[in-house]
Amino acid sequence: MRDLVRQKTALSEEIEKILNDQIRQEAKASATYLAMASWCDQHGFAHSTDFFYKQSGEERGHMLKIFKYVNDVGGKAISPEVTDITNNFNSLRAIFEQALEQEITNTQSINRIVDQCYKSKDYTTVNFLQWFLQEQIEEEFIARRALELFDVIGEEGVGIYMIDKKIPEIQYKAE
Amino acid sequence: MQLTENFKEIFRTPNGCVYQCEKNRCFEVDFGGYLTEFKLPCFFALKRMVDRIDLDAMILNPEKASDIEIISPCGSERCYVLTLPELLEFKELLSGTRVMLQLNSILHERLYRIPA
Repeated sequence: MRDLVRQKTALSEEIEKILNDQIRQEAKASATYLAMASWCDQHGFAHSTDFFYKQSGEERGHMLKIFKYVNDVGGKAISPEVTDITNNFNSLRAIFEQALEQEITNTQSINRIVDQCYKSKDYTTVNFLQWFLQEQIEEEFIARRALELFDVIGEEGVGIYMIDKKIPEIQYKAE
Repeated sequence: MQLTENFKEIFRTPNGCVYQCEKNRCFEVDFGGYLTEFKLPCFFALKRMVDRIDLDAMILNPEKASDIEIISPCGSERCYVLTLPELLEFKELLSGTRVMLQLNSILHERLYRIPA
């Protein structure tokens, strides 16, 4: 009997499912960053607004990268339904705390997928995910550094203004 | 539609069977007295659809309508109207097929794709 399934797709059902779960997670992260950008804009934090618009675009880029990969190897990428997005936040600090938490969640999620791929001997997907592991180092670094500004500068007086101003200057240098 | 030598039986339950059509590169699902052709993506979409049905909720729901599930798979004009026992068997048929397909892939790799 012909191996029609392998001829059609290189992905196992299980890996396809967890990649689709990750697509949904990236889409949700993108939508959450958009909500954060909106809150920042409403409250006059112009630099943070731009920062979160950029982050939202990056997360969407990540989603599309996985989406395309799933289809490229013969699987079925599912366009995700994104619901339950928080649009109200208590403060700028609370937003950056949530941003860092979101990036940690994302890193751990990708780690679990890589772990599962190793167990399933799907080294092609492991190789594909290497880029995401590297990317998460930068994403976490930026979110962590942004949060540290609140302690370094302090929020009193013009502090919050300075924090917002410093946000675009955060750069990750791997070397 | 008639079963020919191109049809390879993949998995069978008391009232159903799934065949692989080598010629048309598709699956034929024989269930409830009807033979229905599915392309590979549509077959797996059907399996996902059936897997998502919450059987526990159906069993626990006392309403009469909850004993019936209507399934409209993509790429086919077939509409399955299944009672709970039929649904259980249909689910077993699709899952069993999936396992046999995985086994077939493993056998192909071990027997034909690893150089001697």
